[in-house]
Amino acid sequence: MNIVVPVKLVPDLVEDLEIDESGITLDTSWLRLILNEVDEHALEQALLLKEAHGGTASVISLDGEGVDDVLFSSAAKGVDHLIKLTGLEFGDDLNNHAVARLYGAIVERLEPELVLIGVQAHNDLDGSLGPLLAEYVGMPYVGYVSGITVTDGKCRVLKEYPGGLIAEMDVVLPAVLGVQAAEAPPRYVAISRIRQAMKTVSLDEQAAADPDSGGGPTIDSMFKPETGERATMIAGDEEEVAAKIVDLLGELGKV
Amino acid sequence: MEYHTAKSIVVVVLLLVSLAVFGLRVYRLLGANLRRGQPNPPFGSWGERLWGVIKFVGGQWRLFRFPAPGIAHFIIFWGFLALVLTILQAIIEGLVAFSNPEFVLPVVGSFGPLALLQDLFATLVVVAVVYALHLRLIVRRQRFEGSHKAQAVMVLLFILAIVVSLQVIAGIRIEAGEDTLAVWRPIATAVGALFAGLSASAMEVIEETAYWTHLAVVLAFLTELPGGKHFHVVTSIPAVLLRNLDPPGRLPPAPEFDGEVGVSSIEQYRRRQMLDFYTCTECGRCQEVCPAHASGLPLSPKLLMMNLRDNLIQSGEARRDERRDGAVLEKELVGDVISDEVLWACVTCFACDQECPLFIEHVTPIVDMRRHLVMEGRMDGMLQEAMANLGRYGNSFGQSERSRAKWTRVIDGKVKDARREPVEYLWFVGDYASYNSAITDVTRTTAEVFRHAELDFGLMFDAERNAGNDVRRVGEEGLFEMLTEANTVALEKCEFQTIVTTDPHTYNVLKIEYPPEVIGQRSVLHYSELLDQMLSDGRLQLRRGLGYRVTYHDPCYLGRYNGVYDAPRRIIEATGCDLIEMPRSGDRALCCGAGGGRIWMEEGETGERPAIMRVKEAAALAGVDTLVVTCPKDLVMFRDAAKSSGYADRLAVRDLIELVAEAL
Repeated sequence: MNIVVPVKLVPDLVEDLEIDESGITLDTSWLRLILNEVDEHALEQALLLKEAHGGTASVISLDGEGVDDVLFSSAAKGVDHLIKLTGLEFGDDLNNHAVARLYGAIVERLEPELVLIGVQAHNDLDGSLGPLLAEYVGMPYVGYVSGITVTDGKCRVLKEYPGGLIAEMDVVLPAVLGVQAAEAPPRYVAISRIRQAMKTVSLDEQAAADPDSGGGPTIDSMFKPETGERATMIAGDEEEVAAKIVDLLGELGKV
Repeated sequence: MEYHTAKSIVVVVLLLVSLAVFGLRVYRLLGANLRRGQPNPPFGSWGERLWGVIKFVGGQWRLFRFPAPGIAHFIIFWGFLALVLTILQAIIEGLVAFSNPEFVLPVVGSFGPLALLQDLFATLVVVAVVYALHLRLIVRRQRFEGSHKAQAVMVLLFILAIVVSLQVIAGIRIEAGEDTLAVWRPIATAVGALFAGLSASAMEVIEETAYWTHLAVVLAFLTELPGGKHFHVVTSIPAVLLRNLDPPGRLPPAPEFDGEVGVSSIEQYRRRQMLDFYTCTECGRCQEVCPAHASGLPLSPKLLMMNLRDNLIQSGEARRDERRDGAVLEKELVGDVISDEVLWACVTCFACDQECPLFIEHVTPIVDMRRHLVMEGRMDGMLQEAMANLGRYGNSFGQSERSRAKWTRVIDGKVKDARREPVEYLWFVGDYASYNSAITDVTRTTAEVFRHAELDFGLMFDAERNAGNDVRRVGEEGLFEMLTEANTVALEKCEFQTIVTTDPHTYNVLKIEYPPEVIGQRSVLHYSELLDQMLSDGRLQLRRGLGYRVTYHDPCYLGRYNGVYDAPRRIIEATGCDLIEMPRSGDRALCCGAGGGRIWMEEGETGERPAIMRVKEAAALAGVDTLVVTCPKDLVMFRDAAKSSGYADRLAVRDLIELVAEAL
């Protein structure tokens, strides 16, 4: 079974986000990128399926700071094929529509049975990448997947719904699945394995086509969350804050 | 056939059979099995090694850390040596019985003072053996749990039988007037008196019975010796001779096989380590002092050694005869023989290694196997997250390196950036002191004290990374190398004379494990050493006597690993506090439970945590209301323990620097 995992790097929230002077995008000078958290689950699920059924796993990523590390660490985990799209970078003015088109072209060439992708990312301003990609490559899409069983070329998935409901559904392959959680927590890969991969594995660098952001919304302005008039910000250390919350709940008659 | 001729023949046969069995067993264990191991690094320092054998084997030095059992063992050991000649006499006597039934060893057999010594030792050995039996069977100390009791008791009874039969033989000969050294053997004379009045033939029967008992037990002991813990009689000398002489804080280089770091099968251990496995006497001193064991975690350093030894022996047997016990070979060393939980339980506090009378290393083989677990990604979620954070941000907190020196923002005036201007002291702050919001106040206090003493110091700010001590002990060698490289690059940019740190773990790794070219001739000081220097040369003066009654906890990586015990105590004294020691202090201090990466792991099913035991130990001291610590992790662990066990009102957990600041 051949599986492709297109991944996305997103701003790392350990750094404070600043808005660019233009007011419509993030200031990239302080930005630092990290692999989208659920993409790690998509990758893990791909490795689990590969281990169970054989085949190959490929990862596709746009270029950007830290992308090589992400790719080599996936190789150290067991991914066979590392594809890096060069010429464009995460952080460039690319929305998910554009990324989906770029990834879609590669996916079509690879002809996988399964495309596993993180179901969402915190910077999805124009919808999540999975359904867009599925549309461009003409495959069915199921999102919020937390379990995948493959038998005889057929695929049964567990899809999570709000409120704890879980549906079991059959999906015709090839398909794009938006993974919410892998069946096992993403594995740890020792640094020495990553370093080994850096020495022995090569990146398949492919020039990215011209990006097409068409179909996405236009951003007029971006701003940080504002304190609402009715909101009260409680200052102080943990103990003080906790005490004030208890007082407030008391005043409101909730406790 | 005449009795004496028959005696000689039987003795010859028995002796040859026993020696053959003994020789074959020893060959299999020390010849065939050890060859399966990895070569040792060159040893060197033979003078120090030989002196170690004299002190620790001959002098039994470390055994006296447990005084009464230590003395008992000392007596049995030396008694055995003193009686070797007597045993030899008995064997040769049998061998030559056909021609000279009255054979006596030349010189030694007629040397009175030696006879007296043997007579006294024989008696002392009986007392010591009875005491040892009492410990095993009646007191049943916790440390013996899991040891082979039947085997231990059997060997004690062997020794008893050997010595008693010897005294019976000697006694009867004295009673029969056959011993010219009778006056030198008062105890044997008394034993002989028990048989007074018996006929000569009855005495002869008793004497010969005693003789055969003596010989049979000696030879049984000989053949049994390589079968278990008593093999240490043979292996302890090479084990102590070839012991690791490196500082305890320096782990040997990580073993690597085909690109796989760590140890995943018994053959991947070095031969000297294998010798350790054989040398374990199952005395359980390690188990008694192990904080993981005490808190109910599945680790016992003793059982670890026994399991490694059993696996080494059984896999050797299985390899020799594949039809037999092939299942042993299918067991994975890491996982089946030694479980993941056992390996992750270790806090690397070094108490076990330090307590072992025969210098068996436990921490190193544990870390070797952990390295394999890390390669396999077998670790709990919390540890995995900590490792990922350390890899990405250089700290376990998962915060940006840019906020590493955030704590400096609220102190007056700028702290020097050692990357930009030369400083005398480079302060390597460490993760906990930098990021843990509960203790950054203490970090600021340290800065204030340094300022007060007009110390020329600076930081590396966001270029500092976790120094890697515990990363290495978790077994993530690649990450350790990465952190070391990052810190090396940063340190090379700085101009300084001395590194100072408040964190004993950082202190250990920088001082002992970093490549020597990084630190060079410059010294690495724990802040307690620096404060001690400044107090003695007058750079720091304390004006107020505080008058508290306090106790002090020795951090593992400062005390046991690096021998710094006095500096913090002198500072406490200088603050005018009354220092009351806990029952376990100095090199016997109980670990707080955070070391070796445990602070990053899920606690798992435990009984009372080591930190809580320690807080209770401190709180039980009359009039003591403050537990003084010199390690940021201790501060976190003990404050938390004091709160969760309800001792927070009675016992304040304070950093040494807080006392100093108060006494300024």
